[in-house]
Amino acid sequence: MSSKYYGSRGSGAPAWYLQRVSGVALFVVAIGHYILMHYHLDSGHTYDAVLARMQNPLYKALQISFVVLGLYHGLSGTWNIFRDYKMPAWLSWTILGLIYLAGITFVSLGIATILSF
Amino acid sequence: MSSNYPPAGWAKVLLAYHKFSGSWAWALHRVTGLVLTGYIMLHIFALMSLQKGKEAFDSEMLLFRTPMFLFLEWFLFAFLLFHALNGIRIVLVDLAEGARYHKKLYYAAVIVGLILFFGMGYIMFTQDTLHSVAAVK
Repeated sequence: MSSKYYGSRGSGAPAWYLQRVSGVALFVVAIGHYILMHYHLDSGHTYDAVLARMQNPLYKALQISFVVLGLYHGLSGTWNIFRDYKMPAWLSWTILGLIYLAGITFVSLGIATILSF
Repeated sequence: MSSNYPPAGWAKVLLAYHKFSGSWAWALHRVTGLVLTGYIMLHIFALMSLQKGKEAFDSEMLLFRTPMFLFLEWFLFAFLLFHALNGIRIVLVDLAEGARYHKKLYYAAVIVGLILFFGMGYIMFTQDTLHSVAAVK
């Protein structure tokens, strides 16, 4: 079996299911994000507007959930695409490593920005 | 006929492939997903200027108020729309009875997506937003 080239010997079913769950959650969060952040050009594009909004912990929670869910769903999907191609083990592990690195880096950067208010 | 299968080379494989609505949905879902993943990272990176204070952020945001960026953001919305609406289709196919009507779902997603895309274009490019752009310049 070619499973030795992949990151896991598991069936992938939990990841498959989580991709659907996080996708549905993102559908809801993205609508909220669009309405709250981009209702008007000024609402998401001036420092004062952002500062005022960020006083509300619910906004922070929405932003953090968007960052975490979006990156999880996106990077998990990216890995999903790579998994369709047969690759030497070193390449497969390198790509998986880069995906994890990108996830950790951008979740940290996003949360650092949100919590700086 | 069958002796030609599989055709040699990826280009021939691509050309021999039957492109039904499900194939389009599959390919477009991947392309839009990769673009959106790249965008969310770019988005997080760009918003790091919020940590540097009002002047840094407001001067950066001037760039995103230009008509060219408004146009790019409109097409970002198109990518998001396709991915979100086709994502609902995937969930219905996988977790409900969507496999029985997945082609109808695809065409419904395209039609609803086009309506929302042009609706968003109308909102983005009507006088209110353009006035804001002009005011900043």
